[in-house]
Amino acid sequence: MTVIEQTRAPRSEARRRRSPLGSRWTPYLFLAPAALFIALFQAVPLAQEIFLSFTHTSLLNPTSNTWVGLENYAHIFSDDEFHRTLTITLVYVVVCVVGSVGAGLGVALILNRSFRGRGIARALVTVPWAAPGIAVALIATWMLNPQYGIVNRFLNAVGLGVPGGAILDSSTYALPAILVTTTWQLFPLTSVVLLSALQAVPKDLTEAATMDGAGRWWTFQAVTWQVIKPTVGLLALLMTIWSLRRFELIWLMTKGGPVGSTETLVIDLYAQAFDSKQLGTAAAIGMVGVVISLIVIAGSRFVARAAEKENIR
Amino acid sequence: MRTPRVRRVTVAAAAVGLAAVVSTGCGSDSESGGGESEGGVTTLAFAASTFGDPGRGPQLQEWIDEFNASQDEIRVEAASVPYPTFGQTVLTQMGGGEGPDLVRFDMPEFEAASDAGLIAPLDDLIDVSQYELLEQPDQFMVHDGVRHGIIFEASNYAMFYNADLIPEPPTTYEEFFDTAQSLTSGDIFGLAFRQTEAEEAGVWQDIFNYVYGFGGAWSDGENLTINAPENLEGLQAYKDLYDANVIPRGADAATFRRMFAEGKVAMELNNGGYATHLRAESPELNFDAAPIPFPVRSQGSILAPIVINEASSAKEEAATFIRWALEPENQVKLQEILGASSVATATERSSESLQDMPYLTTFDDLTESSLPQVVLGFEAQTPDIRKIVVQNVIAALQGQVDLETALDNAQEQATDLVG
Amino acid sequence: MSGEMPSERSGRHSEERAQPPAEQARNRARPEHTSGEMPSERSGRHSEERAQPPAEQARNRARPEPTSRLRIGLTLRIVAVLAVMGIAIFPLYWMFVTALSSDADLFASDARLLPDFSQFGVFVDALAEGETVRWLRNSLVIATGTTALSIVLGIPLGYALSRFSFRGKALMTVVLLLTQMLPEALMVVPLFSLFNRFELLDSLVGLILANAAFVLPIAALILKGAIDGIPRELEEAGRVDGARPFTMLTRINVPLIAPSIAAAAVIAFFHAWNEYVFAVTFIYSPEMQPASVGIASFIGEVGTPVQTVMAVAFMFTLPAVGFYLFAQKYVVAGMTAGAVKG
Repeated sequence: MTVIEQTRAPRSEARRRRSPLGSRWTPYLFLAPAALFIALFQAVPLAQEIFLSFTHTSLLNPTSNTWVGLENYAHIFSDDEFHRTLTITLVYVVVCVVGSVGAGLGVALILNRSFRGRGIARALVTVPWAAPGIAVALIATWMLNPQYGIVNRFLNAVGLGVPGGAILDSSTYALPAILVTTTWQLFPLTSVVLLSALQAVPKDLTEAATMDGAGRWWTFQAVTWQVIKPTVGLLALLMTIWSLRRFELIWLMTKGGPVGSTETLVIDLYAQAFDSKQLGTAAAIGMVGVVISLIVIAGSRFVARAAEKENIR
Repeated sequence: MRTPRVRRVTVAAAAVGLAAVVSTGCGSDSESGGGESEGGVTTLAFAASTFGDPGRGPQLQEWIDEFNASQDEIRVEAASVPYPTFGQTVLTQMGGGEGPDLVRFDMPEFEAASDAGLIAPLDDLIDVSQYELLEQPDQFMVHDGVRHGIIFEASNYAMFYNADLIPEPPTTYEEFFDTAQSLTSGDIFGLAFRQTEAEEAGVWQDIFNYVYGFGGAWSDGENLTINAPENLEGLQAYKDLYDANVIPRGADAATFRRMFAEGKVAMELNNGGYATHLRAESPELNFDAAPIPFPVRSQGSILAPIVINEASSAKEEAATFIRWALEPENQVKLQEILGASSVATATERSSESLQDMPYLTTFDDLTESSLPQVVLGFEAQTPDIRKIVVQNVIAALQGQVDLETALDNAQEQATDLVG
Repeated sequence: MSGEMPSERSGRHSEERAQPPAEQARNRARPEHTSGEMPSERSGRHSEERAQPPAEQARNRARPEPTSRLRIGLTLRIVAVLAVMGIAIFPLYWMFVTALSSDADLFASDARLLPDFSQFGVFVDALAEGETVRWLRNSLVIATGTTALSIVLGIPLGYALSRFSFRGKALMTVVLLLTQMLPEALMVVPLFSLFNRFELLDSLVGLILANAAFVLPIAALILKGAIDGIPRELEEAGRVDGARPFTMLTRINVPLIAPSIAAAAVIAFFHAWNEYVFAVTFIYSPEMQPASVGIASFIGEVGTPVQTVMAVAFMFTLPAVGFYLFAQKYVVAGMTAGAVKG
């Protein structure tokens, strides 16, 4: 048997008195390689981007910079199209988060029951998450093809067809189509995580509640929801941050069009940097994205703290 | 307290990872770009989006292989940079002082790169007086007396039509419109053109023919004339076709060209390079080409220069390849690969190919009236102006503004941009 | 900031109260089905079985004599499961069908819903080209390298964040989260010049480093969460035996957090397998192109061979799915133990 089983009990009373393991340099030894790595490949470029956001810099000559102070920021914020971009980003992120967590929860609840073939079902459901973004964009574009796409054929067959089959080509339907595609790709991740969180729900409690004649909804929100709430919170945070930076899917499907109707921050950033070749403006847009993400993180911590206090009380 | 299996797996995984890192590390040392030589052979990377074309890519590869076989000091390797991000990718690399040694650019990116000094001047590397360069396209290769490129391919726009569906090609815009309308029924469309933002460069190429074919121009050489009345008239013609639902809306070029090959699209305005592609992909298709039936005989042409990256460490070797390409027999071979396009120098069409492809003369006759799809006088800013114009035109197609306002907006935004 | 994500404290209470701490730890590290990888296999199994009964009861209770209401519920559930599976799988199925369609079928007015296996040559041709195999091999090298690097660097970082208090810890946590929101498009230009200086352009090593820089932080956070769940007394034991911190990490913690390592590995693998922006910009030799770039290079100026693209995309998808299915049983466990606690 293991050492631990034998030694755990007698030693445990000593545990809290001990200072952290090793000398005070030990933690730095552990984190140094990763920290250096992140500093070199993330912090240095980020610092460069912060600098670039205060300059005029061309993609074609990135080493020659003209300092312009806050001009790039003034420029993007005075641009109506940027406000539209912010709105679309907000819609995109909120729907992706709500959609993927909601769908993921629904699927997790369905798969949490026991039935024959559950293992296969759980495995198959995760497939969209594993599918590479480019492959997804290609097949989604083909499925949404106005003339030959299976989606339009289906919609026409059930009488819901849109005029001319224009989906990605329509400023009304392009964003919803991209949202559906994104949610399709994300829900396996959320459902897998929520499914495992659901394993922590004490079955006897839900059983008891059901026996006592409590409604399903009541049982869900009184028992299940309380257990998985922190997981949902974390997923929402991750989905928010990841949605803010999602690129390939939108770029390959619509390039932000038509008429900017699917242009999120990252798409705008990419277009500024690589189509318009304005690295300064692109960097400023990137910084706006970073600030938004920081606000989201700070907000989530605030909510988490509040929830914790609530629980203690 | 140990689990041999986990440890073994961990060690194995680490070893695999390490091996991967080490092996690729070695690979990269010998193969990284920038014309490095190894064992006396200089390897050059040649980037062109056309290498990925199913029709022409393999043939171009064979053509390059002939160069590689012709001598043993230089090896040219085709780097097929994906077309959707070709400009962004190559310009980022060149702006960063790196990238492929040889590049086949499209005109707008060529202008931007040469303006930024990213392209090596060729005057000292290639003595062009030895070659009979075609003057009309070649004039755009020289900026302020400095030569930046050699034409790799010049391809004029004409009207492709399915000869089974259209026995007599239309000769006026009205006939063109009527033909498109009368042939559209069921799953067959009379016409196809690009009209989605995802294909910004393609939309620009397509609307160019409508603007110039109705007597318009993007500039008078000194000022932008995006909202000129002729432009409005031409783009209105384009929009009328869109509104009349005679095109497969939302279809991208790749799709509607397959539709053309399948006989589901009757007409398409396209450049000569398309002819080879069609013949390779759909040998059965009975198609022909005629001049674009718009009021003014003026249309776009795709000019694709081959250039040497200023950052290349093997400019002389790169120039050797271009000189080889300019030799008459290699020009003829390239011409045959490119089909209805022309190459840098005047080449004689063989009588077999003329018999085989009677439309070749149609394309060759259009050379004098064809213009590269850049904004004259604002060449280097063409990509930015293109973006503005295309976005506004698409806003009008989507019905968000009327076309006149859209062009006024484009004029205003583009004027702001060029200062 | 403490570096704690919204904690699980509230939810776990009822379950934990019933069990001794060591068992708690094990259950937390592997709440799903486990294999024989764990140190004390027997006791691990035990605790799991002990935790199981309610679920079993539920199963037994659901079975006997279905009333008509139950039968409707069952039917609904079967329909729901099938619908979810259908939605999850259909696009990939359609990719397969499209790859195996003739031109005529592709542009026919009625969709062909079943694959036409007489067109199977498209897969054979794509593989025979040589390019496809090379692309997939490069992607595999990049993904494996990124995964290995992220895990090797992520474990000590996660350990330091979990077990020690030190100056700059809160800042470090924020920085790790911050990196998760930097889009590749923003970083590509500075990284390009950095890689140019280090001669890392046009090499798979460069891509591995760039990808690992993006994945390492999330891997470290997942692993930190997992290590948080291991009781310190396990290490105390080792410490008294004179083991050094690093030995304790590899001998005690690493085996216990295997599920979370698998979860982090899957995330790293997927990220690197899919990555496009860096790959397309940093690589210009065809020999080095990964599959993400290779597929995009089919999207041509003149035409895109739909069937070939779909065939290659399908082959590009399979290894990622396969890798996931291989790692799945760990991942599910690791996600709760790690990601959830972040």
